[in-house]
Amino acid sequence: MWSRIASRLLTSLVVAWASVTAAFLALHALPGRIEDILAGDVDYPGLREAIAAEWGLDRSLFEQYAAFVSRIAGGDLGTSYVLRQPVTEIVGSQLWPTVQLALAAGVLAVALAVSVALLTAGRGRRARKLASILELVLASTPVFWIGILLLMLFSFTLRWFPVSGANGWTSLVLPSIALALPTAGLLAQVLREAIEKTLDQPFVTTIRARGVGEFAIRARHVLRHALLPAVTLGGWLIGGLLGGAVITEKVFGRPGLGSVTLGAVLTHDVPVVLAVVLLAAFIHVAASTILDILYLLIDPRLRAA
Amino acid sequence: MRKFVSLLALAALSTAGLADAVRARSDAAQPRPGGSITWGVTTEPSCFDPHRSSQQAAFFVARNYIDSLVGKRADGSFAPWLATQWSIAPDGLTYTFTLREDVAFHDGETFDAAAVKANYDFVKKPENAATAASLLENFTGAEVVAPHVVRFTLSRPDSTFLESVSNVKLGLISPKALAKGDLCGGGPALAGTGPFVFERYVRGQSATFVRNKAYAWAPGYAAHHGPAYLDRFTFRFLPEYAVRTGALTSGQVDVIEGVQATDVSLFADQPDFTLLVGPSGASTSFTFNINYTRWPADDVRVRRALRDGFDPEPIVRQVYLGHVPRAWSIIGPANPAYNKALVGAWGNDIAGANRLLDEAGWTTRDAEGFRTKDGRRLRIDVGYPQPYVRDNREILIQGIQAALRKNIGLDLNLRIVTAGEYAKGNATGTWAIYPNTDNPSDPARELWDMLGSKGFLYTNVPHPDPEITGLIDEALQATDPTRKRALTDRIQALGVEKAFIVPLFAPSWFLAAKKRVRGLSFEAGLDSPSSAYDVWLEGA
Repeated sequence: MWSRIASRLLTSLVVAWASVTAAFLALHALPGRIEDILAGDVDYPGLREAIAAEWGLDRSLFEQYAAFVSRIAGGDLGTSYVLRQPVTEIVGSQLWPTVQLALAAGVLAVALAVSVALLTAGRGRRARKLASILELVLASTPVFWIGILLLMLFSFTLRWFPVSGANGWTSLVLPSIALALPTAGLLAQVLREAIEKTLDQPFVTTIRARGVGEFAIRARHVLRHALLPAVTLGGWLIGGLLGGAVITEKVFGRPGLGSVTLGAVLTHDVPVVLAVVLLAAFIHVAASTILDILYLLIDPRLRAA
Repeated sequence: MRKFVSLLALAALSTAGLADAVRARSDAAQPRPGGSITWGVTTEPSCFDPHRSSQQAAFFVARNYIDSLVGKRADGSFAPWLATQWSIAPDGLTYTFTLREDVAFHDGETFDAAAVKANYDFVKKPENAATAASLLENFTGAEVVAPHVVRFTLSRPDSTFLESVSNVKLGLISPKALAKGDLCGGGPALAGTGPFVFERYVRGQSATFVRNKAYAWAPGYAAHHGPAYLDRFTFRFLPEYAVRTGALTSGQVDVIEGVQATDVSLFADQPDFTLLVGPSGASTSFTFNINYTRWPADDVRVRRALRDGFDPEPIVRQVYLGHVPRAWSIIGPANPAYNKALVGAWGNDIAGANRLLDEAGWTTRDAEGFRTKDGRRLRIDVGYPQPYVRDNREILIQGIQAALRKNIGLDLNLRIVTAGEYAKGNATGTWAIYPNTDNPSDPARELWDMLGSKGFLYTNVPHPDPEITGLIDEALQATDPTRKRALTDRIQALGVEKAFIVPLFAPSWFLAAKKRVRGLSFEAGLDSPSSAYDVWLEGA
């Protein structure tokens, strides 16, 4: 038990170090010197040298890397080159709105997918076909487009919800629906297929023979079996939600990590990018741990192993 | 055009003896204090400190909390602001400013000569790497002559210096705030003397400002004096066009900036909304800057063929639906230094362009119909940095690309590049065509930026053209306005003549607002909407 936890922690550290290193190298492999990008369309003698000196860009790449790693290890994420604010403050202030959005969208996507899959699996061909087409359309529609359509209808025309921002729950409704729909579409497809496969299993016939109602069979017995492949998708789902959050935040003018990350990558704002990468690595490790635990809860056979 | 039509209508009304009625109506709508508005803007500034920012979007926000020593009127002349008067020594090397004595910073600090000196010293200090230092190239120091008299010394005459002093980039920040450290994050820490106090910044969402009740030092060109009318106002960052438009039509914001050409009809001549069109190209036009030292554009015939091989007028009209004019010079038509002689003087000579290319030896064609010479295609890259792509300008370039291909077999290769790739091309002088608008408002400074030997475009290009760079250096030092005007006219003409530049269109600011929002206008010095100082709410 303890050795498993220890090895898990060790792996997380390795993942964090490897992703920070990869991000650092990738940013420096991109064309353009950072001091040139920061100077932009401004130039006067000495400007670039002053910028380089200010951020230590005049040191060798290895020295810069070592400085970053040792600073991060000490818990100091540094100062953004572009926003000129402490990275901890920037990421800290943007983290909660993004988490809020991703959580709301995730819960909504799962609830939608489960109910649609439960209701349509193994039913009449028409209903299934219709649900399937709808899911395909949703899964392949860009979040951007869904967001604009939702805004036009519910915000600009009906005026039920505010356009954007992060002011209370009303401003969370439209962005989380926009973000949830494509994910729900995909999830429902996978889930229905799994439910249909399970419905053909002999144990279902046994339960039916006991006189258990159809809905109870599905919700209590079949769903548990069908959840495994869906949970495997969970890792992808978290990535998708965080990625989709970038676009959703832009459309709805919401604060969040998305726009900060995008801007940081485009301007080679190394300290901010490294902090976000670190955060993503942490989320990845945490999510895979939670998924492993979920597997155990869903499938008792795995517990014995 | 629309403005002109309504002026005509107004003239007709007054001649019909209705002038009194018109006057009575405007009397009923006197500005009154109170109320608050929300203003949807396109770009969230990455830094709110005017000394450090290089984004036009940031300067127009900063004007609300930052004042300057002098103000610039629309006609290009200067008005007193925090300085009541100023004098320039005959040799052009010393500038003496007498300051107002009743001004206080938002944090309670006194505004005096020492505060001015602290600001200029801060910007000039190399370690601070402030972008505004580019305006202080010839500035050598500030001296406190009396508590409210400050003197600047220059190393050589600089015809753009007063303009720079009026610029928001050299606006005044409380010395106490300057000493405290980085001010990019805005908020009350960023204490200026402006009509509004920076109350709160929520990254990714909004910036809020409250009225500075003590304000009694408006610039000489302001429409009123005393504190601003609005109690409070908020900038909401809404990067999507459709979302800004929807937010205004549904009443969730009161003003928006960056109205798309296709949405103009939603607001123009509508009972509930006002559309305000700013001056077209009050600083520069959107222009192709052609690196004339790089093959194949090092041949003047190739550059002239590119310049004349298409008609910008229909392309501009198609993209912007007739709301902005095509350009004739790199300096915009609303800029007092615009060289009007260039109107109609060049362009759209397809036969001539083809002749030039034949002469230059581009006589063979490849399978796709592009001209070739010695087996190489006639191709010139347009490297458009992704962060600057906006306002359908890439669509405009695509239109030109198609026309040049069809008309003269030139491959204008539009590439949307990253900021890094652009920075690399610039640092090595290997860029080919750079499309842009530039925003320092002094014409000599603009020409220097884009075409000068040490401007940001040509600073790393070996051997820039001695004739044009020489004229620009001369214009920068020409303190006599007539001489300066002659020089800037000549430089504009020379730029087009040698086809170093191909001016495309004169962009304009499009604001839309609810009818009850009054007093919105544009500021000449910034080429942007004015601050919210004169804005008021009908029925507030």
